[in-house]
Amino acid sequence: MNIDLSTLLEWLKNPALAAMATSAFSLLFGLHSIDIILASVGAFIGWGVFQSLPQMGSPVFAAFLAALAAGFYSEIVGWIRSRPATVYIIASIIPLVPGGGMYYTMLSTLEGDSMKTVELFMTTLMSAFALAAGLAISNAFGRMVFMAYSHITSRRKAKP
Amino acid sequence: MQPEDLLLFAADAARLMLESGGETYRAEDTAMDIIASQGGAEAECFATSTGLMLSYTGEDGKVRSVVRRVKRRGMNLEKASRIHAMVNDLRGDRIGIMEAASELDAIERLRERPAAVRMGASALGAGLFTLLFGGGAAEAAAAAVIGALLSLLILGFQRLKLPEFLTSLAGGALTALASLSLQSLGITASPDAIIIGVIMLLVPGVAITNAIRDIIAGDLVAGIARGVDAFITAAAISAGAGGAFAMWKLFELGGMG
Repeated sequence: MNIDLSTLLEWLKNPALAAMATSAFSLLFGLHSIDIILASVGAFIGWGVFQSLPQMGSPVFAAFLAALAAGFYSEIVGWIRSRPATVYIIASIIPLVPGGGMYYTMLSTLEGDSMKTVELFMTTLMSAFALAAGLAISNAFGRMVFMAYSHITSRRKAKP
Repeated sequence: MQPEDLLLFAADAARLMLESGGETYRAEDTAMDIIASQGGAEAECFATSTGLMLSYTGEDGKVRSVVRRVKRRGMNLEKASRIHAMVNDLRGDRIGIMEAASELDAIERLRERPAAVRMGASALGAGLFTLLFGGGAAEAAAAAVIGALLSLLILGFQRLKLPEFLTSLAGGALTALASLSLQSLGITASPDAIIIGVIMLLVPGVAITNAIRDIIAGDLVAGIARGVDAFITAAAISAGAGGAFAMWKLFELGGMG
């Protein structure tokens, strides 16, 4: 393996920015101490996945996988900290949410460019849908793992 | 606790869950779990982002119900997670219903962070998002200043109890005007990265994603309500910014800019 230090730093730059921006937003969302750090790590993972994938002409699929990764992470952390996973999900998907897309869609509506509006609207909606689908799937898996775990532990307790 | 008090307590817990940004199904589960933990039967809750209905059958066989309106829709994840913990403790019999009621009071009284912290966090967030979305150092610094101003505007409008629509409208206009002025003064190159970075403080990106999460979870009415809320907010922000852009062009053409 020969990974150059400067390419590594270049690769880490944007996820680190996303994580720091998320920590600022976590403050606004009322999170405390260690939860802020944990949520920022989620944003780092999400953006890391998002930028590592070949974009294939549309960021929608990358957003889906990024949400899946951030969702899994949040389920695990939420379970360990016995808090709802949503606490970490909301904060860590902040950099991924299509806020800019919604803004540009509405701006092009006001400019009267209907072709551009439809295109931007579809991309925005698809991104939001991809994020939500990724989160729903990671949540379903999280529940299955949790149920399997509590099934196994309750059986072990019942034996003696 | 009287059955009526239990009903009101459960409804208030669910209302606070919705007001703090908890998912719709979680608010419904909160109310139903509280009632089930106290021996109430057939608890049913229907929640949307603007209100909830809750009913259950008490041990005396009488059906009781209550409606709660949700007026504020904020995001305070600490409150949401403390309500969740409180309900879990109640279900696990680690606390009694009276302790749970005083815990809910304490959660309701939790304050937002002080204005200075919110301003700092807004400045930091806006600046970093501008960097992430392709701005340079000058743009990031400008976005931080505008972000701090924007958070002041949001706080002021909240204190005056003005509707969220106006906050978004004025916020969009402020952001666009400030970044256009900085560009014409030659401080920053392009207003795009600044506007997108700062506007992250206002845009309902999380709301639209949550709307679709609700719909996937089967809460169709709640999801549509949240989605409409998000689109109205986005429309207000861009109307503000678009209006500011249009005025700016008008003044420039008139030779006053």
